[in-house]
Amino acid sequence: MIRDAWLILKHELLVTAREPFWIFFGLFQPVVYLLLFAPFLSGIADAPGFPSENSIQFFAPGLLMMNALFQAGFAGFGLIEKLETGFLERLRVTPIDRLALVLGFVLVSTITVLVQSVLLVLAALPFGLHISLVGALLLLVLLVLVAITMGSISYALALIVKDPGILAGVTNFFILPVLLLSGIMLPIAFGPPLLQWVAAVNPLYYASDAARALLEGRLGDGSIPIAFASFVVLAALTLLWFIRTTREAVA
Amino acid sequence: MAEPILLAEQLRKTFIAKKGMGPKAVVEAVRGVDLRVGAGEVFGLLGPNGAGKTTTMRMLCTLLPPSGGSGRIAGFDLIRDQAEVRKRIGYVSQKGGMERVATGRENLLLQAQLYGMSRRQAVERVNVILARLKIGEFADRKTNTYSGGQRRIFDLASGIIHSPPLLFLDEPTTGLDPQSRSRVWEEVGRLHGEGATIFLTTHYLEEADALCDRVAIVDRGQVVAHGTPAELKRLVGGDTIALGFASADHAARARNVLLHSVKELVIDERALRLTVEQGDERLPIILAALNAAQLPVLTVALSRPTLDQVFLKLTGRSLTAAEPAEDAA
Repeated sequence: MIRDAWLILKHELLVTAREPFWIFFGLFQPVVYLLLFAPFLSGIADAPGFPSENSIQFFAPGLLMMNALFQAGFAGFGLIEKLETGFLERLRVTPIDRLALVLGFVLVSTITVLVQSVLLVLAALPFGLHISLVGALLLLVLLVLVAITMGSISYALALIVKDPGILAGVTNFFILPVLLLSGIMLPIAFGPPLLQWVAAVNPLYYASDAARALLEGRLGDGSIPIAFASFVVLAALTLLWFIRTTREAVA
Repeated sequence: MAEPILLAEQLRKTFIAKKGMGPKAVVEAVRGVDLRVGAGEVFGLLGPNGAGKTTTMRMLCTLLPPSGGSGRIAGFDLIRDQAEVRKRIGYVSQKGGMERVATGRENLLLQAQLYGMSRRQAVERVNVILARLKIGEFADRKTNTYSGGQRRIFDLASGIIHSPPLLFLDEPTTGLDPQSRSRVWEEVGRLHGEGATIFLTTHYLEEADALCDRVAIVDRGQVVAHGTPAELKRLVGGDTIALGFASADHAARARNVLLHSVKELVIDERALRLTVEQGDERLPIILAALNAAQLPVLTVALSRPTLDQVFLKLTGRSLTAAEPAEDAA
């Protein structure tokens, strides 16, 4: 099983590396946010209730979350292409373990997110981001959990809807509210009480808070255990869902 | 006869199809198909688009759970022993399934290793296959640079990488140019010569005729006839004479003239198709009769029975003109 997953992972990484363009293209959006959005936050960094000492310290950790959210959240498009070219079918008729197939794909999108996250942290350093090494490593673990969750959801949806247009619609329908109510773009504390209350049930809200705390080295922050606990559970549940869809829904 | 390598009994597949926001419709894609294929045979499933050929094949390849019935491949149950079945079959789908940005060699290496070969065994095996199919010169190019024919040969290579006793080919030559088609035929013939069993679907009559030891004709999810191509052609029971006229009116009048002197007669606008015994002897007589009735014949063709006529005889429709129903799978 592990061997099969490794074979798929290796093959997919080879394919990704063959077109590194996509890794950088994927980074385009977060980099644009870094260059064209983060500077606007500096004007409100002194406002009461702003959770960080400066805008980059506030925004960069959220940007990492956002990248994981979108990158893994759109991973299903690759799978739809593999459905359409018949590649997936070619794999499914071999004796490959179904679980290996699932793990192989989830690992690919997770590793992509990891590589991009490291690149993004490095890109944010010249903007004045300072990081705690231990915290940053823990943050990478949290990002992996988020990537597994989002990747599993996107892959499972891809297998169900089988159409890139529908997948795009469904993904945006869920991903945008989750993003806007996570406190990644602007501090949730700035919002009206109703939205603050809604944000309080958004696991990504805790994840982006935890990301900030981890990068700053505040390892005792209360958001960290909540974020890890909720994403361990979410990653496990969504992975199980993806496994079930692969077993049943692929036709 | 020993247990057949492929056995299907009353195989069924029902899909729930939804059209837009409308009510759900139940599509019976395969409605109780029985098949028996002996080791070493080339067996063809012949039928128009939407007849259920691909759906049947996908069930036999463990890609689609049957809604009913049962099947055994090399003695293993299609549903209970999927893993054992998968080890013993090769499958080349219509799409092929090569990863586009990987090279042909990389695709084949992955395939070989997924069948349990070590990296070294896989490298060796791929080299053997590449040499055998004479595709070594393309092997290190990305598959998205291949022509349709080249890609098809690589698809075939991926299907036989583990030397499966049973190879499934889904419409192996659809969309290929004549040269590539004969190349695929040549390879199928060679595999057959080496003792492999091949199960293929096609809607090309000449393909079934040229490649298959036995053929099952499917229409609307059911087998309507099976046998060797020669046996099936005997069902038609005669030669065919096709006559072309200047107008539908001429054709209709010619029909009345000939109605009582031929075994069977089909009218299709300005054309008449007659089934007769000893067509070569009857043709001059028929032409003379039409000449006497002042119905000028524009074109004449005499043909021995083809599988198309078998299909027409069995279903009342021409295979080539059969309504291309929605392909359920």
